[in-house]
Amino acid sequence: MKIVVCYKNVPEEQQIELRDDRTLDLSAAQWKIGQYDLNAIEFGATLAEQVGDSELIALSAAGAVLNNVKQRKNVLSRGTTRLIGVQDDALDTADCYAVACVLAKAIEKIGDVDVILFGEGSGDIYAQQTGLMTGLLLGWTTLNCIQAIEKTTEGLRLTRSLEDGNEILEVTLPVALSVTSDGNRPRIPQMKDILAAGRKPVEIWSLADLGVEAVSATETISILAPEQTARKCNILEGESSENIDLLFRQLKSMV
Amino acid sequence: MTKLRNVWVVASSKSAVLELCNGARQFGDTLTLLTWNKENALCADKAYYFGCETRYIDCLQRITELALTARPALILVELSRNGRLAAAHLAVAFSTSVLTDISEMWLDGERIVSRRMVYGGAAYQTIAAQPTAIACIGAGVFEPAQASACAVAEELIAGKLAGVQFVESQPRQVQSVNLSAAKKVVGVGRGIGSAEKLSLIHDFAAAIGAEIACSRPVAEEERWLPRERYIGVSGVMLKPDVYIAVGISGQIQHMVGVNSAGTIVAVNKDKMAPIFSNCDYGIIGDLNKVLPALIDKLHSH
Repeated sequence: MKIVVCYKNVPEEQQIELRDDRTLDLSAAQWKIGQYDLNAIEFGATLAEQVGDSELIALSAAGAVLNNVKQRKNVLSRGTTRLIGVQDDALDTADCYAVACVLAKAIEKIGDVDVILFGEGSGDIYAQQTGLMTGLLLGWTTLNCIQAIEKTTEGLRLTRSLEDGNEILEVTLPVALSVTSDGNRPRIPQMKDILAAGRKPVEIWSLADLGVEAVSATETISILAPEQTARKCNILEGESSENIDLLFRQLKSMV
Repeated sequence: MTKLRNVWVVASSKSAVLELCNGARQFGDTLTLLTWNKENALCADKAYYFGCETRYIDCLQRITELALTARPALILVELSRNGRLAAAHLAVAFSTSVLTDISEMWLDGERIVSRRMVYGGAAYQTIAAQPTAIACIGAGVFEPAQASACAVAEELIAGKLAGVQFVESQPRQVQSVNLSAAKKVVGVGRGIGSAEKLSLIHDFAAAIGAEIACSRPVAEEERWLPRERYIGVSGVMLKPDVYIAVGISGQIQHMVGVNSAGTIVAVNKDKMAPIFSNCDYGIIGDLNKVLPALIDKLHSH
């Protein structure tokens, strides 16, 4: 089986700093793989292992971060076979429609793909749309909220998790799936996986290689931090009886 | 303000129909509703409805065909798991991106402008789209309209989604919790250690008359509490008078759900936890010592 899992490197949001004009300064933030993409990678690795004789290709459309060796090893140490990156600076700020068009072209170029997997949404923008749009642009059966995936003789058996319960569905291939964040626990790469990651193939394609441009349909006018409520930050250190008594009196006055 | 020529609403629940139709009226001259169940054909100038037993995913092709013929300037889609899939179908049909999880929307000439949270809640993104724009809007963004029957209502027959065989439905008990109405809320994070600790939390919450909520990992990964109780950027957003965070580290994704609380109190044994720079009162200590002591004092006073 040929499985592609799409992922996005995002900045660690706890390390984002604010400038005086409330714009975001991402320069000190470490890169990571989007949290929800890890669930998709895990589903891909498990499915590839279950089916046997399969490959799991990691695919990402981004700018300079695709050159980051630590991030390449990060994705290649999680049960993936190889990495394909579509690289262009415009992709860092392109909207879902633009990125989906690029990913769809990349999947066509990879060829003979059976399953594409996406996380619930990117770790930073979290529109929860790009994966679905990619599958639909390809004209494939496309489903979201997939919590469980099992191979069957005809294709796959899926658990789709909705607000009021689950749907059990059987689908034929090819199929594009956006998975939930509560269906599995992403594996923790072991030292041997990280070492092996350095030897796995990486290919970088340009937009010209795919014959596509990254043209956003929507326009981002601004990204600004909200006005913050200043908090008092009266912090007591330790569980002494004086502290607990003080906390109790603070609480009593509020409740 | 000039309105858009034609606005559509796609919603399956009655509450979404009433809210989105009310919102749509602010933006459009004419309003068409696409819904399920004849009883939900309300408020719009014209309604199309599928039978209530029709499976949502089987309706998507018909919805897209009708929308492409009508070419409305704006389509408001209910923010639900199925709604997000419908929005994606429509977005591909109209070669655009969905404005999703938006908290505010307004017109700028013919452009539709919206605001939504990004970076886990650290910032707001203002984003604009040209007609035909697709927006996915959650509960509470618009006030509900008064229910009134549609002048014209037409039943639709759904197709069947190709390549998908429906095997069975497994309904779940939806916990009906109204956290938004709670004035006092105790939030629990993974720091409580185990599901067994919930009884201590229950006693504490009962002692102060608070509702119980949690962080996303507690609901989704640990499954100590149902998903209806998780607070955060993709869960419930609250504005209680008092929020007491127990064993919660204070990550942005969670805090954005309670940043509007009147007073925030934190109990956590990790002095480096970000919550301590985001609360009014806090104690760096073991909740297993702090909570029982507080419960005792609350009972004896």
